[in-house]
Amino acid sequence: MTDVKGPARAFMGEQSLSEDNIYVSMTYDELDAGRAMARVKSPKAGAVVLFAGCTRDNFQSKTVTHLAYSTYAPLALRTLLSIARDIHREHQLVSISITHRLGRVDIGEESILIAVSAPHRKAGWAAGEECLERVKDRVEIWKEEWFEDGGIWRSNRDGQAGMPVVDASNEKASSD
Amino acid sequence: MSTPKAPPGTFTLLYFAAATSYTRRQHDHLDAPLPVAALYDVLEKRYPGIRAKVLSSSALTVNLDYVDVDEEGARGEAGMVIKEGDEVAVIPPVSSG
Repeated sequence: MTDVKGPARAFMGEQSLSEDNIYVSMTYDELDAGRAMARVKSPKAGAVVLFAGCTRDNFQSKTVTHLAYSTYAPLALRTLLSIARDIHREHQLVSISITHRLGRVDIGEESILIAVSAPHRKAGWAAGEECLERVKDRVEIWKEEWFEDGGIWRSNRDGQAGMPVVDASNEKASSD
Repeated sequence: MSTPKAPPGTFTLLYFAAATSYTRRQHDHLDAPLPVAALYDVLEKRYPGIRAKVLSSSALTVNLDYVDVDEEGARGEAGMVIKEGDEVAVIPPVSSG
């Protein structure tokens, strides 16, 4: 099955928003776990927790070849920042960093890195988990799950089979 | 995404995910002004079945703010109107992570 041409890149490289001890970004490049951790490390933090979401090779026993992510960039960054701010405040973190990858993500590669640092470990564990749940619930990024016989748009909200991925190009004139 | 600027008298409607697969387009330029409550009728005419297949499970943003289409409809004359140059987006159920 030939690869359907994906959505045009929303931007080149990386886009980020940051405030004091809060960093969120999206990038088409491979994610860097070391850099994420380094960003949140602090003499004030006894605990650093890192979550990496990786592409798994199957969905309900069907073989997945790869995932691909697209986004409404300005809105997704806003939502990421809002979540990061809330989590930072609610868990009294030292620092938080969220980076989501866009474009094709192959088996075993990371699509999301969440790094949090806190004075003590309880807040770190809780913040990392809560952060991921909110990101998956709200951030305006969409996943295509690709199998041998085509791709499906996934929804985090329900486990239903999603709509097939179809070539979408604005070169085709729309009917009036 | 470098979406072409909306020609005069139109607004930009961005499609994402299942909405791009259904319409086979990344965006449309539609005539403005248009009440938000009328948008889905316009889209249904252009892409029959889109309401049931896509819009009913999607959210809508206008200039990066979420809009409750039903609520705007209930406000009648006082409901939100999409203006020339606005950026509207169909937001299907998200799936990050």
